[in-house]
Amino acid sequence: MTQAPPHGFWQRMQQIPRYYIYALLAGVVIWQLLFPIRLPIAPSRATLGVRDAIRNVPEDKIVIISVDWDASTQPETGPQTQAIIEACFQLKKRFAIMNLAAPMGVKLANDIALRVARRYNAKYGVDWCNWGYKVGQGNFLMAVAKNIPKAVATDFYNKPVSELPMMRGVENISSIGLVVEVTGLAGMTELWLGLIQGPYGTPFASAYTAVMAPGYYPYLDSGQMKGMLVGAKGAAEMETLVNRPGSAVAIMNVQSWAHLLIIVLIVIGNVAYFMGRRRPGEGRR
Amino acid sequence: MSRLFAPAPTPRLLAAYLVIGLVGSVILIYLLHRGLGPRGRRWLIAVVTFVAGLFYGLEFYYPVHNRKNFLTDWIEPVSVMIAVIGAFTVGLGIYSLCQVHGRNVARRRPGWPNSLAFFVAFLAMLVFGLWSHYTPVGEPAPKVLPWQNGVYEVLFNGLFAPLQTATFSLLAFYIASAAYRAFRMRTAEAALMMIAAFIVMLGQVPVGAWITSGIPLTSPWAFFRLETLGEWILNWLNMPAQRGIVFGIAVGALAMSLRVWLSLERGTFFSEQR
Amino acid sequence: MNPQLWILSAGAIATVLRGLTAALRDPQLWILWAGAIATLGVYTILYRENPVSRFFEHIFVGLSAGYLLVATWAFNLEGRWWDPMIHERRWYWIFAPVVGFLFYFIYSRRLSWLARLVMGLFFGAGAGTFFREFFPLYSPQLYASFKPLRPDAQVGWAAVILHNWLFVIVLLTVLSYFFFALPHEGRAGRNLGRAALLGRWFMMIAFGAMFGNTVMARISLFIGRMRFLLKDWLGSFIPWLAHRGM
Repeated sequence: MTQAPPHGFWQRMQQIPRYYIYALLAGVVIWQLLFPIRLPIAPSRATLGVRDAIRNVPEDKIVIISVDWDASTQPETGPQTQAIIEACFQLKKRFAIMNLAAPMGVKLANDIALRVARRYNAKYGVDWCNWGYKVGQGNFLMAVAKNIPKAVATDFYNKPVSELPMMRGVENISSIGLVVEVTGLAGMTELWLGLIQGPYGTPFASAYTAVMAPGYYPYLDSGQMKGMLVGAKGAAEMETLVNRPGSAVAIMNVQSWAHLLIIVLIVIGNVAYFMGRRRPGEGRR
Repeated sequence: MSRLFAPAPTPRLLAAYLVIGLVGSVILIYLLHRGLGPRGRRWLIAVVTFVAGLFYGLEFYYPVHNRKNFLTDWIEPVSVMIAVIGAFTVGLGIYSLCQVHGRNVARRRPGWPNSLAFFVAFLAMLVFGLWSHYTPVGEPAPKVLPWQNGVYEVLFNGLFAPLQTATFSLLAFYIASAAYRAFRMRTAEAALMMIAAFIVMLGQVPVGAWITSGIPLTSPWAFFRLETLGEWILNWLNMPAQRGIVFGIAVGALAMSLRVWLSLERGTFFSEQR
Repeated sequence: MNPQLWILSAGAIATVLRGLTAALRDPQLWILWAGAIATLGVYTILYRENPVSRFFEHIFVGLSAGYLLVATWAFNLEGRWWDPMIHERRWYWIFAPVVGFLFYFIYSRRLSWLARLVMGLFFGAGAGTFFREFFPLYSPQLYASFKPLRPDAQVGWAAVILHNWLFVIVLLTVLSYFFFALPHEGRAGRNLGRAALLGRWFMMIAFGAMFGNTVMARISLFIGRMRFLLKDWLGSFIPWLAHRGM
């Protein structure tokens, strides 16, 4: 039985060429980038939790920022990382960047940290450092919990971490005041929570792409996570909190209209579907 | 035991130990291969799997005295060793890629210039990446980078990162097209899903807050502000559903881990050699 | 031709060449243009599959493979294996590549059992790691599931019902959806079936929320790329675009 060609306005509406949809989306995005309509962004409780967790890090401990992301999620995780680094510099918390799963992220995050550090006159090795990409995931975390200098060995610039001034006295997990996981990959949070936060009580906060964030609300509810940034929205909220509106705020301005477009498209598609539904027996050959 | 694993006192002795270790390992592997039949091999694999799992599990659950037990001091060196062993597997995927593209180029199959481009990009990143690693510029970076560091920056920030971001950004178009063509309210469940999606999509963006900004935050109707409703759906409808799924995954993963640990699994990687 | 005109022309050409050379030495310019061309090359696939997009796909795979090797050596093997083995003379690290290279016997039919031996090591270590993380990861989830079902001084009836009661109902119905030990027959089974149906409805709401977030994530990626093209690339030579406040 062959399918009848679309007839009638509503049937044709359901099968408009995809290029029109692509052009509409591109048009809305370009329009809003060039002529943005700026609306206020209010931080959510989850974002405030991340900021407060950084604020509560004791002076003698450091923050680990685990940047397990790569360029595929950079528009979300890049601004999240930048906002978290800004918060660490503003609140004068020393931090170490590292990466467990995506080798690319550690260089992208390093470039971000270098750029932000110049604004605060922060010195590498004193105020922040980069442990680089470390293979081993769970094995590496178990080793870090016991002996950080041996587990990490060298930093991003191939210098022994034990020679960095900020790493003096940083022996094991008790020297870590907070772990912030910025990721677009599933599975990394479970490792941190199960091997570090749970057994040792190390405070943990996170930043996820919007796709994976809904799956991690249970950990926020149970208190295993102090706070959570959700996609570009969370990054924009954090940028607002640190008074450095940047790319995430710009993205959220555009996001509003793109979402409205998607909703309109879904509504039109459904209207066309219901209006164009054939009566029983019609159109069969 | 600690004397056995002490560092070699001189470089010459180190070289000797390395050669002996390498040759000894090869001989051991050869003897195992010749001496063990299929049953013996299966048994050896099961024992290695069991001991590896037992080590980590036992160290966690064995009673501690002064926050450690007899296995605690071994966790760090064993974990680092296993992580480093895992690093050597990086060549598996790369060997596969080189094999496929190498055949394309050698046999001049259709599209072979693309395979050649693969090799050019691969070698360029490898050469300039390592070269740049061994000519660090320090911080603050000089205004004019050494040319090999500049090439590496162009390869990484100019090609690698944008290509990956652009490839994944195509999904925006596909999701828009799919939303228009496929998201249909054919059943009540689909309608529920769509309404929840609309509320969350609007609640996450500033325009959603603007649409319902007329409802005062202090009024009892503030619950119906889009951002509040969206947060409520995520925290009190989505969260318990996700927790139920988490419990299911937890039990399933525990059962699977037990089966793997006890070598009860059958499949491509677990079956014996034919 | 007038000699003065020759001198002027030569001077102008030299200035342009000097500027071009200086610009070409600046990696930022190359990065911008390479990134823009690569992005537009990938976007040609929106029209249809074509040689340009396929070419850039292959370039991407090659760069990715090369970078993986660089990162593995530079951030892992050099500092955690080579330096301890050669500079600290810890000779036992020679066993790491021996065991690691056993993985490569997966390509040999006769010797593939050696690869399974090392895989067994990793699967066992993975299982042991999961046993370690099971209780610290999931027991807080259990504790947090017991929520107070009566109001107190801080929380009134409305909040208790909208939050805690709803939580318990959703959790139990979703769990009942995955409970396959009891068939949906007989009185108890039919009640379980009704609970499972309700659980499915709640899961559809959760999936709707996930879809909403997925849309947000995907659109963000495209907005980020458009921002690069308009602000960073085009904005580098069209000042009006650079100052649009994107």
